[in-house]
Amino acid sequence: MNTSLITLENLAIGYDGQAVLSGISLTIARGSFTAILGANGTGKSTLLKTLLGLQPPVSGKIQIGADGVKPIFGYVPQAIQFDPLYPLTGFDVALMGAFGRVGAGCFPSRAEKDFVRECLHATTADEFAQKKFSQLSGGQKQRVLIARALATKPDLLVLDEPTAGVDVAATHSLLEFISQIHKERNLTVLLVTHDLPLVKKHAQQIVWLHNGTVLCGTVAELFTPENMSEIFEMEVG
Amino acid sequence: MESFKEILSPDFLLRNSVYTSVLVGFACPLVGVFLVLRRLVFMGVALPQISSTGVAVALSLPVWLGLTVNSAEEHAHTLAFIGSTVFTLVAILILALLVRRGRGSAEGRLGTAYVVATALSILLLSKNRVAEAGWLDLLKGEIITISNFDLGLTAISLAFVLVVLGLFNKELLLVSFDRAMAATLGKNVLAWDAVLYLLIGLTVSVAVLSVGPLIAFGFLLIPPLTAHLFARNMKWFVILASLIGGVSSLLGFWLAYQWDWPVGPSDVVLLGVVYALAFGVKKIFSLRQPKLNRGSFASR
Repeated sequence: MNTSLITLENLAIGYDGQAVLSGISLTIARGSFTAILGANGTGKSTLLKTLLGLQPPVSGKIQIGADGVKPIFGYVPQAIQFDPLYPLTGFDVALMGAFGRVGAGCFPSRAEKDFVRECLHATTADEFAQKKFSQLSGGQKQRVLIARALATKPDLLVLDEPTAGVDVAATHSLLEFISQIHKERNLTVLLVTHDLPLVKKHAQQIVWLHNGTVLCGTVAELFTPENMSEIFEMEVG
Repeated sequence: MESFKEILSPDFLLRNSVYTSVLVGFACPLVGVFLVLRRLVFMGVALPQISSTGVAVALSLPVWLGLTVNSAEEHAHTLAFIGSTVFTLVAILILALLVRRGRGSAEGRLGTAYVVATALSILLLSKNRVAEAGWLDLLKGEIITISNFDLGLTAISLAFVLVVLGLFNKELLLVSFDRAMAATLGKNVLAWDAVLYLLIGLTVSVAVLSVGPLIAFGFLLIPPLTAHLFARNMKWFVILASLIGGVSSLLGFWLAYQWDWPVGPSDVVLLGVVYALAFGVKKIFSLRQPKLNRGSFASR
Protein backbone atom coordinates (compact mmCIF):
# COMPACT_ATOMS: atom_id res chain seq x y z
CA MET A 1 0.00 0.00 0.00
CA ASN A 2 1.32 3.46 -0.92
CA THR A 3 1.95 6.01 1.80
CA SER A 4 0.54 9.50 1.35
CA LEU A 5 2.84 12.19 0.00
CA ILE A 6 0.39 15.10 0.18
CA THR A 7 -2.77 15.35 2.27
CA LEU A 8 -5.21 18.24 2.00
CA GLU A 9 -7.85 18.68 4.69
CA ASN A 10 -10.78 21.01 4.08
CA LEU A 11 -8.50 23.37 2.18
CA ALA A 12 -9.66 26.71 0.79
CA ILE A 13 -7.49 28.37 -1.85
CA GLY A 14 -7.57 31.84 -3.36
CA TYR A 15 -5.95 35.26 -3.34
CA ASP A 16 -5.89 38.06 -0.76
CA GLY A 17 -7.96 36.01 1.68
CA GLN A 18 -10.75 35.48 -0.88
CA ALA A 19 -11.40 31.79 -1.56
CA VAL A 20 -11.90 30.74 -5.18
CA LEU A 21 -12.26 27.10 -4.22
CA SER A 22 -12.97 25.55 -0.83
CA GLY A 23 -13.64 22.21 0.87
CA ILE A 24 -10.74 20.45 -0.85
CA SER A 25 -9.85 17.20 0.92
CA LEU A 26 -7.71 14.67 -0.87
CA THR A 27 -4.63 12.50 -0.61
CA ILE A 28 -1.89 12.08 -3.19
CA ALA A 29 -0.21 8.75 -2.66
CA ARG A 30 3.49 8.11 -3.20
CA GLY A 31 4.07 6.63 -6.66
CA SER A 32 0.63 7.64 -7.97
CA PHE A 33 -0.22 9.46 -11.21
CA THR A 34 -2.79 12.14 -10.41
CA ALA A 35 -4.38 14.53 -12.87
CA ILE A 36 -6.02 17.83 -11.94
CA LEU A 37 -8.73 18.56 -14.48
CA GLY A 38 -10.92 21.57 -15.00
CA ALA A 39 -11.86 24.36 -17.37
CA ASN A 40 -10.02 27.68 -17.43
CA GLY A 41 -10.63 29.74 -14.29
CA THR A 42 -11.70 26.83 -12.09
CA GLY A 43 -8.66 27.16 -9.82
CA LYS A 44 -6.27 24.53 -11.23
CA SER A 45 -3.24 26.81 -11.26
CA THR A 46 -4.13 28.29 -7.85
CA LEU A 47 -4.35 24.78 -6.38
CA LEU A 48 -1.00 23.91 -7.91
CA LYS A 49 0.65 27.09 -6.61
CA THR A 50 -0.74 26.38 -3.15
CA LEU A 51 0.62 22.82 -3.20
CA LEU A 52 4.04 24.09 -4.30
CA GLY A 53 4.06 26.63 -1.48
CA LEU A 54 4.02 29.59 -3.87
CA GLN A 55 0.63 30.75 -2.61
CA PRO A 56 -0.60 30.55 1.01
CA PRO A 57 -3.92 28.74 1.53
CA VAL A 58 -6.93 30.80 2.66
CA SER A 59 -7.78 28.16 5.26
CA GLY A 60 -7.47 24.45 5.95
CA LYS A 61 -4.48 22.18 6.32
CA ILE A 62 -1.81 20.93 3.93
CA GLN A 63 0.46 18.12 5.01
CA ILE A 64 3.36 17.60 2.66
CA GLY A 65 5.71 14.66 3.17
CA ALA A 66 6.02 12.42 6.19
CA ASP A 67 8.05 12.62 9.40
CA GLY A 68 8.81 16.28 8.81
CA VAL A 69 10.79 15.54 5.64
CA LYS A 70 9.60 17.79 2.84
CA PRO A 71 9.59 16.10 -0.57
CA ILE A 72 11.46 17.62 -3.48
CA PHE A 73 9.21 19.03 -6.19
CA GLY A 74 10.25 18.70 -9.80
CA TYR A 75 8.20 21.57 -11.20
CA VAL A 76 7.48 21.79 -14.92
CA PRO A 77 5.77 25.12 -15.68
CA GLN A 78 4.25 26.13 -18.99
CA ALA A 79 7.06 26.86 -21.44
CA ILE A 80 5.26 29.89 -22.81
CA GLN A 81 5.75 31.86 -19.57
CA PHE A 82 9.51 32.31 -20.00
CA ASP A 83 10.90 35.60 -21.24
CA PRO A 84 12.73 34.96 -24.54
CA LEU A 85 15.14 37.77 -23.71
CA TYR A 86 17.33 35.50 -21.57
CA PRO A 87 20.21 34.12 -23.68
CA LEU A 88 20.12 30.72 -21.99
CA THR A 89 20.80 27.43 -23.73
CA GLY A 90 18.68 24.36 -23.08
CA PHE A 91 21.53 23.02 -20.95
CA ASP A 92 21.66 26.25 -18.90
CA VAL A 93 17.93 25.92 -18.16
CA ALA A 94 18.19 22.21 -17.29
CA LEU A 95 21.20 22.89 -15.03
CA MET A 96 18.95 25.05 -12.82
CA GLY A 97 17.42 21.80 -11.61
CA ALA A 98 20.67 21.03 -9.79
CA PHE A 99 20.80 24.44 -8.04
CA GLY A 100 18.79 23.12 -5.07
CA ARG A 101 21.70 20.82 -4.14
CA VAL A 102 24.46 23.34 -4.81
CA GLY A 103 24.95 25.77 -1.95
CA ALA A 104 24.93 29.55 -2.36
CA GLY A 105 28.31 30.76 -3.54
CA CYS A 106 29.26 27.32 -4.89
CA PHE A 107 29.38 26.17 -8.49
CA PRO A 108 27.80 23.00 -9.90
CA SER A 109 30.37 20.18 -9.93
CA ARG A 110 31.29 18.12 -12.99
CA ALA A 111 29.22 15.26 -11.53
CA GLU A 112 26.15 17.52 -11.30
CA LYS A 113 26.65 18.65 -14.87
CA ASP A 114 27.01 15.06 -16.04
CA PHE A 115 23.80 14.17 -14.22
CA VAL A 116 21.97 17.05 -15.95
CA ARG A 117 23.28 15.74 -19.30
CA GLU A 118 21.84 12.33 -18.38
CA CYS A 119 18.47 13.94 -17.65
CA LEU A 120 18.58 15.73 -21.01
CA HIS A 121 19.43 12.43 -22.66
CA ALA A 122 16.54 10.70 -20.86
CA THR A 123 14.10 13.25 -22.25
CA THR A 124 15.79 13.08 -25.69
CA ALA A 125 16.60 16.79 -25.33
CA ASP A 126 20.37 16.37 -25.54
CA GLU A 127 20.52 17.00 -29.28
CA PHE A 128 19.20 20.57 -28.95
CA ALA A 129 20.55 21.31 -25.44
CA GLN A 130 23.20 23.71 -26.77
CA LYS A 131 20.66 25.76 -28.73
CA LYS A 132 19.06 28.86 -27.24
CA PHE A 133 16.05 27.89 -25.12
CA SER A 134 14.00 30.75 -26.60
CA GLN A 135 14.48 29.36 -30.11
CA LEU A 136 13.27 25.84 -29.36
CA SER A 137 9.81 24.59 -30.35
CA GLY A 138 7.09 24.14 -27.71
CA GLY A 139 7.69 20.38 -27.48
CA GLN A 140 11.47 20.80 -27.29
CA LYS A 141 11.12 23.38 -24.49
CA GLN A 142 8.88 21.02 -22.53
CA ARG A 143 11.48 18.25 -22.84
CA VAL A 144 14.16 20.58 -21.50
CA LEU A 145 11.88 21.63 -18.64
CA ILE A 146 11.09 18.00 -17.79
CA ALA A 147 14.84 17.29 -17.83
CA ARG A 148 15.28 20.24 -15.46
CA ALA A 149 12.60 18.82 -13.17
CA LEU A 150 14.28 15.38 -13.24
CA ALA A 151 17.61 17.06 -12.44
CA THR A 152 16.13 18.11 -9.07
CA LYS A 153 15.98 14.36 -8.21
CA PRO A 154 12.31 14.86 -7.36
CA ASP A 155 9.96 12.92 -5.13
CA LEU A 156 7.05 14.48 -7.00
CA LEU A 157 6.94 15.60 -10.62
CA VAL A 158 4.48 18.50 -10.97
CA LEU A 159 3.48 19.45 -14.52
CA ASP A 160 1.38 22.56 -15.22
CA GLU A 161 -0.36 22.03 -18.57
CA PRO A 162 2.81 20.69 -20.20
CA THR A 163 1.07 20.19 -23.53
CA ALA A 164 -0.15 23.81 -23.89
CA GLY A 165 1.10 25.12 -27.23
CA VAL A 166 2.49 21.72 -28.19
CA ASP A 167 1.34 19.91 -31.34
CA VAL A 168 -0.61 16.64 -31.18
CA ALA A 169 2.30 14.35 -32.02
CA ALA A 170 4.60 16.00 -29.47
CA THR A 171 1.81 15.90 -26.86
CA HIS A 172 1.38 12.17 -27.32
CA SER A 173 5.13 11.62 -27.16
CA LEU A 174 5.53 13.78 -24.02
CA LEU A 175 2.77 12.03 -22.10
CA GLU A 176 4.07 8.61 -23.11
CA PHE A 177 7.47 9.63 -21.77
CA ILE A 178 6.04 10.96 -18.49
CA SER A 179 4.02 7.78 -18.08
CA GLN A 180 7.13 5.70 -18.77
CA ILE A 181 9.30 7.45 -16.13
CA HIS A 182 6.39 7.27 -13.69
CA LYS A 183 6.39 3.48 -14.06
CA GLU A 184 10.15 2.96 -14.29
CA ARG A 185 11.11 5.17 -11.35
CA ASN A 186 7.90 4.80 -9.33
CA LEU A 187 7.82 8.60 -9.52
CA THR A 188 4.77 10.41 -8.15
CA VAL A 189 3.26 12.56 -10.90
CA LEU A 190 0.82 15.44 -10.54
CA LEU A 191 -0.41 16.68 -13.90
CA VAL A 192 -2.58 19.74 -14.48
CA THR A 193 -4.38 19.60 -17.79
CA HIS A 194 -7.72 19.91 -19.53
CA ASP A 195 -6.97 17.15 -22.01
CA LEU A 196 -9.50 14.39 -21.19
CA PRO A 197 -8.23 11.67 -23.55
CA LEU A 198 -4.69 11.96 -22.13
CA VAL A 199 -6.00 11.79 -18.58
CA LYS A 200 -8.11 8.72 -19.34
CA LYS A 201 -5.09 6.97 -20.79
CA HIS A 202 -2.43 7.79 -18.20
CA ALA A 203 -3.84 8.95 -14.85
CA GLN A 204 -4.79 6.70 -11.93
CA GLN A 205 -6.45 9.38 -9.83
CA ILE A 206 -8.44 12.40 -10.99
CA VAL A 207 -9.09 15.66 -9.19
CA TRP A 208 -11.81 17.39 -11.19
CA LEU A 209 -12.57 21.05 -10.46
CA HIS A 210 -16.00 22.08 -11.62
CA ASN A 211 -18.32 24.92 -10.61
CA GLY A 212 -16.54 25.50 -7.30
CA THR A 213 -16.66 21.82 -6.34
CA VAL A 214 -13.91 19.24 -6.26
CA LEU A 215 -14.54 15.69 -7.44
CA CYS A 216 -11.93 13.06 -6.59
CA GLY A 217 -11.73 9.48 -7.75
CA THR A 218 -10.38 7.08 -10.32
CA VAL A 219 -11.01 7.34 -14.06
CA ALA A 220 -13.70 4.67 -13.82
CA GLU A 221 -15.40 6.45 -10.92
CA LEU A 222 -15.44 9.92 -12.41
CA PHE A 223 -15.76 9.42 -16.15
CA THR A 224 -19.35 8.25 -15.90
CA PRO A 225 -22.02 9.37 -18.39
CA GLU A 226 -23.80 11.24 -15.55
CA ASN A 227 -20.71 13.24 -14.58
CA MET A 228 -19.77 13.95 -18.18
CA SER A 229 -23.29 15.09 -18.91
CA GLU A 230 -23.33 17.43 -15.91
CA ILE A 231 -19.87 18.84 -16.47
CA PHE A 232 -20.23 19.42 -20.18
CA GLU A 233 -23.95 20.26 -19.93
CA MET A 234 -24.79 17.82 -22.68
CA GLU A 235 -26.27 14.42 -23.15
CA VAL A 236 -23.80 11.59 -23.37
CA GLY A 237 -25.02 8.57 -25.26
CA MET B 1 48.21 57.18 -31.27
CA GLU B 2 50.65 59.27 -29.24
CA SER B 3 47.80 60.68 -27.19
CA PHE B 4 46.50 57.15 -26.58
CA LYS B 5 49.89 56.09 -25.22
CA GLU B 6 49.92 59.27 -23.15
CA ILE B 7 46.64 58.55 -21.34
CA LEU B 8 47.85 55.01 -20.55
CA SER B 9 51.07 56.32 -19.01
CA PRO B 10 51.35 56.04 -15.18
CA ASP B 11 52.56 59.64 -15.18
CA PHE B 12 49.47 60.94 -16.98
CA LEU B 13 47.99 63.81 -14.96
CA LEU B 14 44.39 62.55 -15.32
CA ARG B 15 45.26 58.88 -14.80
CA ASN B 16 42.78 58.53 -11.91
CA SER B 17 40.02 59.76 -14.20
CA VAL B 18 41.02 57.17 -16.83
CA TYR B 19 41.05 54.36 -14.26
CA THR B 20 37.71 55.44 -12.75
CA SER B 21 36.07 55.75 -16.14
CA VAL B 22 37.28 52.29 -17.17
CA LEU B 23 36.22 50.73 -13.85
CA VAL B 24 32.73 52.17 -14.20
CA GLY B 25 32.69 51.08 -17.84
CA PHE B 26 33.46 47.48 -16.91
CA ALA B 27 31.23 47.32 -13.80
CA CYS B 28 27.99 49.07 -14.80
CA PRO B 29 27.10 46.58 -17.57
CA LEU B 30 27.46 43.70 -15.10
CA VAL B 31 24.41 44.88 -13.18
CA GLY B 32 22.85 46.52 -16.26
CA VAL B 33 22.47 43.01 -17.70
CA PHE B 34 19.93 42.23 -14.96
CA LEU B 35 18.07 45.52 -15.49
CA VAL B 36 17.72 44.69 -19.19
CA LEU B 37 16.73 41.03 -18.63
CA ARG B 38 14.19 41.95 -15.96
CA ARG B 39 12.83 44.67 -18.28
CA LEU B 40 13.61 47.35 -15.69
CA VAL B 41 15.36 49.76 -18.06
CA PHE B 42 13.28 52.65 -16.71
CA MET B 43 14.71 51.89 -13.30
CA GLY B 44 18.13 52.38 -14.87
CA VAL B 45 17.08 55.92 -15.84
CA ALA B 46 15.46 56.81 -12.54
CA LEU B 47 18.10 55.42 -10.18
CA PRO B 48 21.08 57.50 -11.32
CA GLN B 49 18.91 60.60 -11.12
CA ILE B 50 17.74 59.72 -7.61
CA SER B 51 21.35 59.04 -6.71
CA SER B 52 22.36 62.52 -7.90
CA THR B 53 19.52 63.94 -5.79
CA GLY B 54 21.20 62.20 -2.86
CA VAL B 55 24.41 63.99 -3.81
CA ALA B 56 22.52 67.28 -4.01
CA VAL B 57 21.02 66.77 -0.55
CA ALA B 58 24.40 65.79 0.85
CA LEU B 59 26.10 68.84 -0.64
CA SER B 60 23.34 71.09 0.70
CA LEU B 61 23.59 69.68 4.21
CA PRO B 62 26.58 71.81 5.33
CA VAL B 63 24.72 74.97 4.28
CA TRP B 64 21.59 73.90 6.16
CA LEU B 65 23.72 73.07 9.19
CA GLY B 66 25.53 76.41 8.99
CA LEU B 67 29.03 74.93 8.49
CA THR B 68 31.81 76.99 6.92
CA VAL B 69 32.64 76.51 3.24
CA ASN B 70 36.16 75.15 3.95
CA SER B 71 34.86 72.59 6.42
CA ALA B 72 32.14 71.53 3.99
CA GLU B 73 34.58 71.14 1.09
CA GLU B 74 36.85 68.89 3.16
CA HIS B 75 34.05 66.40 3.67
CA ALA B 76 32.19 66.99 0.42
CA HIS B 77 33.10 63.70 -1.20
CA THR B 78 32.31 61.61 1.85
CA LEU B 79 28.99 63.41 2.25
CA ALA B 80 28.20 62.94 -1.43
CA PHE B 81 29.04 59.23 -1.26
CA ILE B 82 26.78 58.73 1.75
CA GLY B 83 23.96 60.77 0.18
CA SER B 84 24.23 58.96 -3.13
CA THR B 85 24.34 55.49 -1.58
CA VAL B 86 21.53 56.03 0.94
CA PHE B 87 19.17 57.60 -1.60
CA THR B 88 19.89 54.94 -4.22
CA LEU B 89 19.50 51.96 -1.91
CA VAL B 90 16.29 53.23 -0.32
CA ALA B 91 14.85 54.17 -3.71
CA ILE B 92 15.71 50.87 -5.40
CA LEU B 93 14.15 48.84 -2.59
CA ILE B 94 10.94 50.90 -2.69
CA LEU B 95 10.76 50.86 -6.50
CA ALA B 96 11.48 47.12 -6.62
CA LEU B 97 8.73 46.47 -4.10
CA LEU B 98 6.26 48.51 -6.17
CA VAL B 99 7.32 46.80 -9.41
CA ARG B 100 6.95 43.38 -7.74
CA ARG B 101 3.45 44.14 -6.48
CA GLY B 102 2.58 44.80 -10.10
CA ARG B 103 -0.40 47.05 -9.54
CA GLY B 104 -0.83 50.25 -11.50
CA SER B 105 1.75 51.53 -13.93
CA ALA B 106 5.33 50.67 -12.96
CA GLU B 107 6.62 52.87 -15.80
CA GLY B 108 4.51 55.74 -14.50
CA ARG B 109 5.96 55.43 -11.01
CA LEU B 110 9.53 55.23 -12.30
CA GLY B 111 8.92 58.21 -14.60
CA THR B 112 7.51 60.18 -11.69
CA ALA B 113 10.48 59.25 -9.50
CA TYR B 114 12.84 60.41 -12.27
CA VAL B 115 11.24 63.78 -12.90
CA VAL B 116 10.66 64.58 -9.21
CA ALA B 117 14.26 63.64 -8.38
CA THR B 118 15.56 65.91 -11.15
CA ALA B 119 13.39 68.84 -10.08
CA LEU B 120 14.29 68.36 -6.41
CA SER B 121 18.01 68.40 -7.22
CA ILE B 122 17.65 71.68 -9.10
CA LEU B 123 15.56 73.21 -6.30
CA LEU B 124 18.03 72.16 -3.62
CA LEU B 125 21.07 73.43 -5.42
CA SER B 126 19.57 76.68 -6.69
CA LYS B 127 20.03 78.02 -3.15
CA ASN B 128 23.54 76.63 -2.76
CA ARG B 129 26.07 78.18 -5.14
CA VAL B 130 29.09 76.21 -3.90
CA ALA B 131 27.32 72.89 -4.21
CA GLU B 132 25.79 73.89 -7.54
CA ALA B 133 29.16 74.18 -9.25
CA GLY B 134 30.21 70.66 -8.20
CA TRP B 135 26.84 69.19 -9.06
CA LEU B 136 26.82 70.67 -12.55
CA ASP B 137 30.24 69.12 -13.21
CA LEU B 138 28.80 65.82 -12.08
CA LEU B 139 25.74 66.22 -14.29
CA LYS B 140 27.88 66.92 -17.35
CA GLY B 141 30.13 63.93 -16.64
CA GLU B 142 33.31 65.95 -16.12
CA ILE B 143 35.53 63.13 -14.86
CA ILE B 144 38.62 65.24 -14.26
CA THR B 145 39.13 65.62 -10.54
CA ILE B 146 39.34 62.12 -9.12
CA SER B 147 41.49 61.85 -6.00
CA ASN B 148 43.34 58.67 -4.99
CA PHE B 149 40.75 58.24 -2.22
CA ASP B 150 37.87 58.49 -4.73
CA LEU B 151 39.58 56.02 -7.04
CA GLY B 152 40.18 53.59 -4.18
CA LEU B 153 36.58 53.87 -3.00
CA THR B 154 35.31 53.25 -6.53
CA ALA B 155 37.66 50.29 -7.03
CA ILE B 156 36.76 48.65 -3.71
CA SER B 157 33.01 49.15 -4.17
CA LEU B 158 33.01 47.81 -7.72
CA ALA B 159 35.29 44.90 -6.80
CA PHE B 160 32.81 44.00 -4.05
CA VAL B 161 29.97 44.07 -6.61
CA LEU B 162 31.99 41.90 -9.01
CA VAL B 163 32.82 39.30 -6.35
CA VAL B 164 29.23 39.05 -5.05
CA LEU B 165 27.84 38.86 -8.60
CA GLY B 166 30.36 36.16 -9.48
CA LEU B 167 29.73 34.09 -6.35
CA PHE B 168 25.93 34.26 -6.40
CA ASN B 169 25.35 34.47 -10.13
CA LYS B 170 23.37 31.23 -10.28
CA GLU B 171 20.98 32.31 -7.51
CA LEU B 172 20.47 35.77 -9.03
CA LEU B 173 19.90 34.28 -12.47
CA LEU B 174 17.46 31.67 -11.16
CA VAL B 175 15.26 34.15 -9.26
CA SER B 176 15.30 36.47 -12.29
CA PHE B 177 14.44 33.77 -14.85
CA ASP B 178 12.03 31.54 -12.91
CA ARG B 179 10.86 32.71 -9.50
CA ALA B 180 8.49 29.76 -9.03
CA MET B 181 11.27 27.24 -9.67
CA ALA B 182 13.56 29.10 -7.27
CA ALA B 183 10.88 28.97 -4.56
CA THR B 184 10.25 25.24 -5.05
CA LEU B 185 14.00 24.65 -4.70
CA GLY B 186 13.88 26.38 -1.32
CA LYS B 187 15.61 29.59 -2.39
CA ASN B 188 14.60 32.74 -0.53
CA VAL B 189 13.42 34.72 -3.54
CA LEU B 190 12.90 37.99 -1.68
CA ALA B 191 16.34 37.84 -0.06
CA TRP B 192 18.07 37.20 -3.41
CA ASP B 193 16.06 39.99 -5.01
CA ALA B 194 17.26 42.27 -2.24
CA VAL B 195 20.90 41.21 -2.84
CA LEU B 196 20.58 42.00 -6.54
CA TYR B 197 18.94 45.36 -5.93
CA LEU B 198 21.57 46.30 -3.34
CA LEU B 199 24.32 45.48 -5.85
CA ILE B 200 22.57 47.55 -8.51
CA GLY B 201 22.11 50.37 -6.00
CA LEU B 202 25.74 50.33 -4.89
CA THR B 203 27.03 50.27 -8.48
CA VAL B 204 24.73 53.12 -9.51
CA SER B 205 25.65 55.30 -6.53
CA VAL B 206 29.40 54.79 -7.07
CA ALA B 207 29.05 55.35 -10.82
CA VAL B 208 26.98 58.52 -10.38
CA LEU B 209 29.48 59.89 -7.93
CA SER B 210 32.32 59.18 -10.35
CA VAL B 211 30.82 59.93 -13.76
CA GLY B 212 27.34 61.45 -13.23
CA PRO B 213 23.80 60.17 -13.88
CA LEU B 214 23.76 60.42 -17.68
CA ILE B 215 26.93 58.43 -18.18
CA ALA B 216 25.98 55.93 -15.47
CA PHE B 217 22.71 55.22 -17.27
CA GLY B 218 24.54 54.95 -20.59
CA PHE B 219 26.89 52.29 -19.21
CA LEU B 220 24.04 50.45 -17.47
CA LEU B 221 21.96 50.18 -20.63
CA ILE B 222 23.87 50.35 -23.91
CA PRO B 223 26.60 47.71 -23.43
CA PRO B 224 24.09 45.00 -22.39
CA LEU B 225 21.84 45.87 -25.34
CA THR B 226 24.79 45.69 -27.73
CA ALA B 227 26.08 42.43 -26.25
CA HIS B 228 22.59 40.89 -26.39
CA LEU B 229 22.66 41.10 -30.18
CA PHE B 230 25.45 38.51 -30.30
CA ALA B 231 25.27 36.62 -27.01
CA ARG B 232 24.73 32.87 -27.36
CA ASN B 233 24.61 32.21 -23.63
CA MET B 234 24.53 34.09 -20.34
CA LYS B 235 28.25 33.80 -19.68
CA TRP B 236 29.21 35.47 -22.94
CA PHE B 237 26.39 37.99 -22.60
CA VAL B 238 27.84 39.25 -19.30
CA ILE B 239 31.49 39.12 -20.43
CA LEU B 240 30.77 40.83 -23.76
CA ALA B 241 28.65 43.57 -22.13
CA SER B 242 31.40 44.29 -19.61
CA LEU B 243 34.10 44.33 -22.30
CA ILE B 244 32.08 46.68 -24.50
CA GLY B 245 31.59 49.03 -21.52
CA GLY B 246 35.23 48.93 -20.43
CA VAL B 247 36.79 49.31 -23.88
CA SER B 248 34.32 52.03 -24.90
CA SER B 249 35.09 54.01 -21.75
CA LEU B 250 38.81 53.89 -22.53
CA LEU B 251 38.32 54.84 -26.19
CA GLY B 252 35.80 57.52 -25.17
CA PHE B 253 38.33 59.04 -22.79
CA TRP B 254 40.97 59.02 -25.52
CA LEU B 255 38.63 60.71 -28.03
CA ALA B 256 37.66 63.31 -25.43
CA TYR B 257 41.32 64.00 -24.62
CA GLN B 258 42.29 64.10 -28.28
CA TRP B 259 39.51 66.49 -29.35
CA ASP B 260 39.03 68.35 -26.05
CA TRP B 261 35.46 67.09 -25.53
CA PRO B 262 33.79 66.40 -22.17
CA VAL B 263 34.60 62.78 -21.24
CA GLY B 264 31.19 61.50 -20.12
CA PRO B 265 29.17 62.56 -23.16
CA SER B 266 31.99 61.28 -25.42
CA ASP B 267 31.69 57.86 -23.78
CA VAL B 268 27.91 57.70 -24.20
CA VAL B 269 27.96 58.88 -27.83
CA LEU B 270 30.64 56.29 -28.59
CA LEU B 271 28.50 53.59 -26.95
CA GLY B 272 25.57 54.72 -29.11
CA VAL B 273 27.70 54.49 -32.26
CA VAL B 274 28.94 51.02 -31.26
CA TYR B 275 25.33 49.89 -30.67
CA ALA B 276 24.18 51.27 -34.03
CA LEU B 277 27.07 49.56 -35.84
CA ALA B 278 26.46 46.28 -34.01
CA PHE B 279 22.76 46.47 -34.84
CA GLY B 280 23.60 47.05 -38.51
CA VAL B 281 26.05 44.13 -38.61
CA LYS B 282 23.47 41.90 -36.93
CA LYS B 283 20.82 42.91 -39.46
CA ILE B 284 23.14 42.17 -42.38
CA PHE B 285 23.89 38.70 -40.97
CA SER B 286 20.17 38.15 -40.31
CA LEU B 287 19.34 39.01 -43.93
CA ARG B 288 21.98 36.57 -45.16
CA GLN B 289 20.74 33.80 -42.89
CA PRO B 290 17.05 34.50 -42.28
CA LYS B 291 15.83 32.88 -39.09
CA LEU B 292 13.42 33.62 -36.28
CA ASN B 293 15.08 35.59 -33.50
CA ARG B 294 12.44 35.69 -30.83
CA GLY B 295 14.92 36.58 -28.12
CA SER B 296 16.08 39.89 -29.53
CA PHE B 297 15.32 42.90 -27.36
CA ALA B 298 16.01 45.27 -30.23
CA SER B 299 13.60 43.53 -32.58
CA ARG B 300 10.68 43.85 -30.18
